[in-house]
Amino acid sequence: MKFRYTLEALAIIAIIAFSGIFLYTSSTMSGAEFAGSDNVGSGLIAELSGIPLENFQPLIPQWEPPSGEIESCLFALQAAVGGAMVGGVFGFWIGSQKKA
Amino acid sequence: MHIMEGFLPLQWCIVWWIIALPCLLLGLYQLKKVLAADRETLPLLGVTGGFIFILSSLKLPSVTGSCSHPTGTGLSTISFGPWITSVVCAIVLLFQSLFLAHGGLSVLGANIVSMGIVGPLVGYAVYRMLRDTSVNVYLTVFLVTALADMFTYVTTSLELALAYPAETGGFVSSFVLFMGIFAVTQIPLAIVEGIVLALVFKYIVALKPDILIRLKIFSEEKINAARDDAS
Repeated sequence: MKFRYTLEALAIIAIIAFSGIFLYTSSTMSGAEFAGSDNVGSGLIAELSGIPLENFQPLIPQWEPPSGEIESCLFALQAAVGGAMVGGVFGFWIGSQKKA
Repeated sequence: MHIMEGFLPLQWCIVWWIIALPCLLLGLYQLKKVLAADRETLPLLGVTGGFIFILSSLKLPSVTGSCSHPTGTGLSTISFGPWITSVVCAIVLLFQSLFLAHGGLSVLGANIVSMGIVGPLVGYAVYRMLRDTSVNVYLTVFLVTALADMFTYVTTSLELALAYPAETGGFVSSFVLFMGIFAVTQIPLAIVEGIVLALVFKYIVALKPDILIRLKIFSEEKINAARDDAS
């Protein structure tokens, strides 16, 4: 079966549908905070164990990004490292294919 | 999927570390062997590992009104197996626990088990089942990726439910509650991730089919058929 650009089309449709669902839920769902599921999970732990959330202290001392800005900077750095690896290798492959 | 630092009792931290460590050591040993045998595998490791870095930093909103991130472990699992994948995941998770306060050193073992071991193991099992059948390679990549992603979050739910059984209903009812938070949020993300990584695999097949054949990731016939289909 030939499907030249089917995967590209599917990926675009999936991403648009995903964004559409987000726009819909974020405008209709009241009380949706779009917090991390990690934090929602921690809330449930506090509820199940009956221990207040602020009583959970790190077992091993931990550095925390002082603000959301710094956190997003470090997350962007992580994605950039990944992007550089992916882009670098694809470029290398395309280059060596052209040479051969 | 991160369990936050301090949110897992000490005995469970130790249990998951004990499970994670041998897997990491096996992964390091395999990594050394694979790279020594064929230096050409290094770029493939770069691409498949790069996607773990990228995708695990993207926190996306989902239908449950909370955000979660894909894992990106599918390609690495297919190319190098679950153990080497767990080493790459350990690097990402270590970075996140040191600099981002996502996870932490005591819970790192538990987080490696969910994202780096159980998810990829489930994905690898699916890959081994489908590899020698007539199932299309892109569909295989989609299923492996989506299931590795889903089972990472199922494992996180399991780890938390084991540590915090509900007073009424015990382990099962708290597993259902955690699944409601982690796994349901993850379903749409896993589907999108599966499609995107299947697309990436198409580009790898187009550019470097020889390495996929040499590493016996898929048979020559399947790779050639996949090239034909998508070009």
